[in-house]
Amino acid sequence: MDIDWGWIGDHTDTLTEHALLHLRLALLPVLFGLLISLPLGVLCRRWGWLYPPALTIANVLYAIPSLALFMIFIQYTGLTPSTVMIPLTLYSLSVLVPNVVDGLASVSEPVRQAATAMGFGPLRRLMRVELPIAVPVVMAGTRVAAVSSVSLVAVGQLIGQGGLGEDIIRGYQLQFQTQIVAATVLIILLALVTDTILVTVQRLLTPWARARGASS
Amino acid sequence: MITFEGVTKRYPGGTVALDDVSLECPTGRITVFVGTSGGGKTTALRTINRMVDPTSGRVLIDGRDVRERRPAELRRGIGYVIQHAGLFPHRTVLDNIATVPYLVGWNKKKARERALELMERVGLEPAMAKRYPFQLSGGQQQRVGVARALAADPPIMLMDEPFSAVDPVVRAELQDEFLRLQDELHKTIVFVTHDIDEAIKLGDRIAVFRTGGRLVQIDSPEDLLARPADDFVAGFIGRDRGIRRLSFVPASSAPLTDRDVLPADTPVERVTAVGWILVVDAGRRPLGWVSADALPASGALGDARLAPVGPTFDAETDSVRAALDAAILSPSGRAVAVDGSGQVVGVADQHDLTAAIRPAAPLAKDGVSG
Repeated sequence: MDIDWGWIGDHTDTLTEHALLHLRLALLPVLFGLLISLPLGVLCRRWGWLYPPALTIANVLYAIPSLALFMIFIQYTGLTPSTVMIPLTLYSLSVLVPNVVDGLASVSEPVRQAATAMGFGPLRRLMRVELPIAVPVVMAGTRVAAVSSVSLVAVGQLIGQGGLGEDIIRGYQLQFQTQIVAATVLIILLALVTDTILVTVQRLLTPWARARGASS
Repeated sequence: MITFEGVTKRYPGGTVALDDVSLECPTGRITVFVGTSGGGKTTALRTINRMVDPTSGRVLIDGRDVRERRPAELRRGIGYVIQHAGLFPHRTVLDNIATVPYLVGWNKKKARERALELMERVGLEPAMAKRYPFQLSGGQQQRVGVARALAADPPIMLMDEPFSAVDPVVRAELQDEFLRLQDELHKTIVFVTHDIDEAIKLGDRIAVFRTGGRLVQIDSPEDLLARPADDFVAGFIGRDRGIRRLSFVPASSAPLTDRDVLPADTPVERVTAVGWILVVDAGRRPLGWVSADALPASGALGDARLAPVGPTFDAETDSVRAALDAAILSPSGRAVAVDGSGQVVGVADQHDLTAAIRPAAPLAKDGVSG
């Protein structure tokens, strides 16, 4: 396989631009997914009956091919970034909702009781005790969602919104391997960098969980 | 004072956790709720800080119904310690202890100063302040739990089996320190345990609960041991309650004799005693025992071969139980009483000791034999 390094050198600007667009298309949905999953997970913990249907719906959404979802949303949002980001947001729920629920369940009963007995009201207990303790589990899910979202975005090129997906398809149309390889490698790098950043953020947020690993 | 007035807790489905319980927990004292599991003792404890609201009846703190107060606000004025400490894993030791001060709005500096002060009080190194709970041993976690409960200086402390999850040596240590703390702080404490020995050691008053949430008896430890209300209580206290009762009888009530206590330089010809003689030195410190019929024909008492003294008891501070233990372990069957400086005050045999407790202990209904 011949890589045309000169082409890559000439196109760093476009590749960078596509990479940044790619990140935006991939990560905003994860953020929206978290904003939906956190309250939804809290409600599922509070009313247990809500969890099985919520999880089933999230999984069914995940089973719908992205192409089909694009076709549905294209009627409402046209060929815009939203048409890619809405399906990606829905996909992230199948990972994030169970992780929020599991994270909240990881708060031990004595801790919950102690918090209540110390005089935390339900909301304060949630914000200051339960959610902070859920962070490691929620972050584990967020990492999975973010990495898979970074690789999924490329498909959005089918409706003209694919970030680096554009380079893969263009490379295929022009039978120009360098462009395909460069875009693929960049997508993998973006996934790795995203994951590294999320791990770092988690360590900063949860020194108590990091210390757990260090002392054992 | 915490007052239970006919408190009943019935769960949907018919389970009765508390059945018409009335009792009082006096201010500044330790009241222990003890009983079999399912006896409702934890439920009873939780009605005090409204983690459980009774189906009927009232719980009053200093005459005021707890249900007149908002739960969160009520709870901030009541310390709470539980079995596995329930420390917040995401907060440092210092911030765990400062939990309630933060909640009631102290500034950070003041709350942390208070937390450091409490760490010292409960015997934690200041170096532990920045650690996280999982880095502590079970005993240390429990100390943090106690410090956290004390942080905002609440007049009332609720303790639900706080020392049950640690090993027996650490448990005894925590119990002793708990009593020492209580001597300084005089909190109104309600303490739940399933361990009758812990109840007797810690309680000023002991309330015995049995299955179905019924309060069977509430009494001082002495009276509970002397007069168990029924077979359930007697069985719960266990077989050796006669012996354990002796812990509450001061040894100073035992009759002592020094007739058979003789200095080492006494010539054997002048010994008239029969049986065991305790030989002491010029400073009346015990040297050993010798039997009158094993004395040499001549010389001084100190020349005879002496049997070891065995354990002694302090005539002023020990209980008859300690004295009886010393007697049982002594080669002569007699216990040696000493004063604070270790000088022999006298001796007493097992019969003397048990005779001494008969008038000292109230007459038991079922007749404890002497």
